[in-house]
Amino acid sequence: MSLEEFRNIKKLPSEDYYTAGHRTCAGCGPALAYRLVAKAAGPNTILIGPTGCMYVANAHQFLTSPYAVPWYHTQLGGGGAAGIGTAAALRALMEKKKRKKEEINVIVFGGDGAMADIGLSGLSMGLSYDFERLLYIVYDNEAYANTGIQASSTTPWGATTTFTPEGSLKRIGNERYKKNMALFAASHPNIKYVATATLYPPLDLMNKVVRALNSGGPSLINILTPCPKGWFSEPSDTVILSRLAVETGLWILWEYSEGRFKLNYRPNPRRHVKEYLRLQGRFSHLDPEDIERIEKMVEEEWPYWEESDKIGKIIIPFIH
Amino acid sequence: MCARTELIPPVSKEKPGYKVWNGARAIAEAVKVADVDVISAYPIRPYTGIMNALAKMLADGEFKAEIIIADSEHSQFEIVKHASATGARTFVGSSGVGLLYAFEAVTATGLGSVPVVGVIGTRALDDPGNFGMEWTDIMTTRDLGWLISWPRDVQEATDMTIVAYRVAEDKRVLQPHFIAVDGAAITHVSAPVIPPDKETVAEFLPPYDPPYRIDPEEGAVTKAMHIAPSLIGTEQRKVIDYSFKRSMDVIVEAWNDFSKYTGRKYPPFIESKNMENAEIALIGMGAYMKDVEFVAENLRKEGIKIGTVRLRYLRPFPAEELSKILEDVQSAGVIEFAFSYGSPYRTGPLYHELATSLYHLDKRPKLLDFLFLGGREPRTEHFKKAAEKLIDIKNGNLPEKRAYWLTLRGEDI
Repeated sequence: MSLEEFRNIKKLPSEDYYTAGHRTCAGCGPALAYRLVAKAAGPNTILIGPTGCMYVANAHQFLTSPYAVPWYHTQLGGGGAAGIGTAAALRALMEKKKRKKEEINVIVFGGDGAMADIGLSGLSMGLSYDFERLLYIVYDNEAYANTGIQASSTTPWGATTTFTPEGSLKRIGNERYKKNMALFAASHPNIKYVATATLYPPLDLMNKVVRALNSGGPSLINILTPCPKGWFSEPSDTVILSRLAVETGLWILWEYSEGRFKLNYRPNPRRHVKEYLRLQGRFSHLDPEDIERIEKMVEEEWPYWEESDKIGKIIIPFIH
Repeated sequence: MCARTELIPPVSKEKPGYKVWNGARAIAEAVKVADVDVISAYPIRPYTGIMNALAKMLADGEFKAEIIIADSEHSQFEIVKHASATGARTFVGSSGVGLLYAFEAVTATGLGSVPVVGVIGTRALDDPGNFGMEWTDIMTTRDLGWLISWPRDVQEATDMTIVAYRVAEDKRVLQPHFIAVDGAAITHVSAPVIPPDKETVAEFLPPYDPPYRIDPEEGAVTKAMHIAPSLIGTEQRKVIDYSFKRSMDVIVEAWNDFSKYTGRKYPPFIESKNMENAEIALIGMGAYMKDVEFVAENLRKEGIKIGTVRLRYLRPFPAEELSKILEDVQSAGVIEFAFSYGSPYRTGPLYHELATSLYHLDKRPKLLDFLFLGGREPRTEHFKKAAEKLIDIKNGNLPEKRAYWLTLRGEDI
């Protein structure tokens, strides 16, 4: 039995599989994403957690656990492999009649450091196999937040982190551009489903989880998850930031299913990026010209996303 | 013009009931009859032949398993860790720096008490391209909660692989298990082998049934290695320490049972030869003990009271049994292929294990270390030289040092 999509936020099931018992920060974006992903996947799910905030802050400190489904830790760079190992075990045991046959979701919930940096090779291996109901989530809070906000390869241009502080010589902070993990995933010929999402709109995220798990092959969802601790933002702004990321056109909601690209949302009119940036302390050192530079980057990128949507195929949109 | 040479197929004369297999192939046959569910592979010499053989068996439908070609050894070991925790019987392996690349996952598998079985084809670390046999790779995993056994030949490597599953998966143990196979000397050497028989192995080896699988059938199992140190970190390690203590009995039971089922008898921990009235002894592990035993037997014919001691397990280490065997010996030498730079008396890790085991005895042999490093193959003359050194010391001459590099060219400074 495949999972069904959610039509209406009022008709969501009341059951949660990521519940109380964690000790994440107030306004934690990844924790909220975890709750929505687990809710969408339902009870027949195994969760795997590479090292990161969503491992360390989610229990164990006091022998508690927020997971109402099986959960196992994997090493920081082990997400791709752990998902494959679990899925391979289930398939082998079912094929050899050592376990009854049923549909079990395997979801690896890894951060940007775990998936875009140290675990990139293992993730790529995972995406090259054909295990059904294996979903990789990159919860992207754009830094190593658990170790004290160090830059990762998905930290955006201009953000300060403890490894990329602003200084008299290096004024900008992080000078690398954000790696696009969804495009990376889409470059795997075996991939069945890739999407980007954020905490807003929640149904968009939850239904993407459903579509990914139903897709019949490896899948990846890159979820932008605001992080008050790392972004120097108000805990109450987490969902607002998710919304602004989409409405400023900085975070593009799209999906790529069975080789077909589709935009899920077009900001119209598109808000200026400064509305998103000014709520975050990590960008507070930027000059108006820097902010205009970011605005221009978004402006120049968008026609390519539109064109991708028109032809249903992916065009690499970067022109920095 | 290139000359065409006709390939001459190797002629093997099989005895009835035997197969001529190299170590890699024979171990693969053991994995097959153990009905392994998930295998993860990554190439590095000399262990790779095992995976090559398994891949071909799976391609031919000889048995059913998932084989995952990993992107690195780190992934390779993470794959089996998670497959095993989910309830699958697993097989993995590596060599040399490959094992070190997997080190983090190896550590988490031990601390997580996940009974993965792996074969390490031992190899020098790491002058790239040095395929020579050294134990420095596997020795690094000594302290990580893996059982480690060490076969002498192809037959024993095959049998040890099957027994490893029985011991590792026993609920009194539940720890991962390496079989350290001397690179080239076993992996690439063909020998007559009594093939493992599927029905017999099925009786000897019960199905893998771990407690608290990571499976929705088991409910909400949360499995984490990270627990606040003040809570159960200490106890977690004590549990593993105690599993290793219990594994001593489990290993004895398993080998006794194995001989009942197969008729092949092995002493569980230590195979000693001519030790009853021995004055000197050569102690070691693995494939080269054949040569050591050959040298010792020839010296016996000359009237020298020499015996040999072969350890079959490095972890758990049979210290008590060993000290009983060695307490009346006057001088003993360790044959070893690993070294620890700057260690006590500039010796190797096996020497340290031996010295620790013998320290509490009132009467103990003088102990020397004979080192074979960098992958250069020893010959019987080297082992003979080692024995002569021991005779010298037994006769009252003080050793000028503890460790001798017998295959070194130039001065052993």
